[in-house]
Amino acid sequence: MIGYLAQRLGMMAVTLFAIITLTFFLMHAVPGGPFVSERMLAPEIAAALNAKYGLDLPIWQQYLNYLGSIASFDLGPSFKYPGVSINSMIAAGLPVTLQTGLLAIICVVALGVPLGVIAALNRNRWPDTTVMFIATLGVAIPSYVIATVSLYVFALRLGWVPTFGLDDWRGYFLPVFALSGFWISFVSRLTRSSLLETLEQDYMTTARAKGLKPGQILFKHGLRNSLLPVVTVLGPVVANLVTGSFVIEQIFALPGIGRQFVLSITNRDYTAIMGITIFYAAILMVMILIVDLLYVWLDPRIKLTKAAA
Amino acid sequence: MTDIAPDMWAKVPAGAAVPPPPPPAPTYGQEVRRRLWANKPAVISIVFIVALVLAAFFGPYLSPHTYFRQDLKLSNIPPAFETYAVPQEDGSVTRFFLNASNFNLYEVDAEGHVLGLLRGGRKDIIKKSQPYEFGDQAVTLDYSRLPARLLLEDGTELRPSGWSWNRTYLFGTDQLGRDILVRQLYGAQISLTVAFVATLVNFCIGVFYGGIAGYVGGRVDAVMMRIVEIISTIPLTLYVVLLMVVFDSGLLSIIVAIGSVFWVDMARIVRGQILSLKSQDYVAAARTMGASPTRILTKHLLPNSIGPIIVTLTMLIPSAIFIESFMSFIGLGVTPPLASWGSLTSEAVETLRTYPHQLFFPAAAISLTMFAFNFLGDGLRDALDPRLRG
Repeated sequence: MIGYLAQRLGMMAVTLFAIITLTFFLMHAVPGGPFVSERMLAPEIAAALNAKYGLDLPIWQQYLNYLGSIASFDLGPSFKYPGVSINSMIAAGLPVTLQTGLLAIICVVALGVPLGVIAALNRNRWPDTTVMFIATLGVAIPSYVIATVSLYVFALRLGWVPTFGLDDWRGYFLPVFALSGFWISFVSRLTRSSLLETLEQDYMTTARAKGLKPGQILFKHGLRNSLLPVVTVLGPVVANLVTGSFVIEQIFALPGIGRQFVLSITNRDYTAIMGITIFYAAILMVMILIVDLLYVWLDPRIKLTKAAA
Repeated sequence: MTDIAPDMWAKVPAGAAVPPPPPPAPTYGQEVRRRLWANKPAVISIVFIVALVLAAFFGPYLSPHTYFRQDLKLSNIPPAFETYAVPQEDGSVTRFFLNASNFNLYEVDAEGHVLGLLRGGRKDIIKKSQPYEFGDQAVTLDYSRLPARLLLEDGTELRPSGWSWNRTYLFGTDQLGRDILVRQLYGAQISLTVAFVATLVNFCIGVFYGGIAGYVGGRVDAVMMRIVEIISTIPLTLYVVLLMVVFDSGLLSIIVAIGSVFWVDMARIVRGQILSLKSQDYVAAARTMGASPTRILTKHLLPNSIGPIIVTLTMLIPSAIFIESFMSFIGLGVTPPLASWGSLTSEAVETLRTYPHQLFFPAAAISLTMFAFNFLGDGLRDALDPRLRG
């Protein structure tokens, strides 16, 4: 276990290093410096600005400085908002993104799995066809379409929920719905096919033959075994919720990190783009690691050494 | 073995009719085609996609409008409107409709062709009304209370004479007065081009990379797959965003950005196929006959793994469409006046409150297309490899 964890952490460090390097050199490959688009600056002022942000140093030294500051968890200053650090930008946006993201994950598990179970237990009857029809819709329609259409219908037409912001608890409905729509559909489809497969296994017949209660059979033998593939996709779910949040936070005007990221793109705030990318990547890798560990814990058949090989 | 009846051993007289040989067993290709044609959603999807491609690439030439010509006098015109008719003294009738969101009157003819913006008298800002003259008839547009009303001289309300479709701009116009139908078709053209070309680029890189890793094997394979592993932990959408920031938005750069990033799945699948195929006897036979690795790879291994490759390819196209529209939506895709489904949707969101119909077309187009590709992908998967049926 310890060895596996160490190996995974080492791998993560390598990946993170690759991401930082790639991001740094990509952002420095942008023609012109960060101040080029501004009003014409006097050469002295430009030189002073460059010196202040260390941009007059050779690129390898800037790179080392950047690595050094990241090692101390400092993502540097924003180039567009003087005096604002990327860390404070992230700290301001994180609660919002985390809240909607966590709610979305809860929805994915709490709605996707039961829907899939209902569909599997009623195979080819109306609950199954209904759930699968909706799930097919949910998988094909892009999240921003779900977001804008539901914004129009529920906020503008029916007025049930506010059009933007999270001041009201009802404000959470649409962003969470739009964020999780795809994955609820995906997970319910996955749960259905996986549970159908499990229901045909011999040990299910054995369990029935032993005279266990249907509930016991379903939860102890059926679900426990068929939920493993669902756990595997939770890693990508987290990753996708993050990228989904760019658009969703934009549409619903939520002050989260995703909106911050899109804003820094429009502002061409290179340090902010860099910093938020690296932050996202780090968070995602930690999440995927947690999901992998959870997977091992749920399925004792997987040997850690084997998984690592 | 089937039982052979004794009479079958009897000598056939010369000149007797020879029973026709049994039809040859269907080839793999025929089987695939038969299974695919039996799949209704997949067939409908193919028809839809072909129609969409034809409409996207030839449709814009059939229209008198262009995707870039603006006419601010005719902005935000709906695809259908309620016409009002005011009879004149000389027997002619002036027809017009009221755009209830910007309080403008537009003259139309009896069939529903939009003739132009009607100029009214001076707006009374305080009373929120504007007088219009139609020959000898005076009509006042009163928007002090919503919905806006049209009042005749004697104070009675002018009633609309009925609904009419917009014949000049079938889907209406956007906020800059551009024809939505043409922009829609043009957007489809861009979205589809980006999706197909980016998928092709992904396909080439993936097949090349996965083919080499799978065929060479050993240490090379281990290193190459480690790299793939690292790439797949990186959130790829973030990298498309970064690449777009570096390249500056544009058609070519979005193709490059999407094409250079999403080949990882393809590489994995090709490698897996090649690994399982390369120990087959026919590969050994080809090698003994002195075939070069390139020849073995291109003539033997890749054709035999075409099934999963095609399925992955069909699944890549909708995700490329999605990424492109996503990028355009957050403002990193094609630059105006070029349009794509993503940028059309985000333009429509700006006017969502007043002109919600503008959202309908791009949203429906992209959703239907995603459906079609998803169904086609499922159908192809089932047809090419029935064992994979989910």
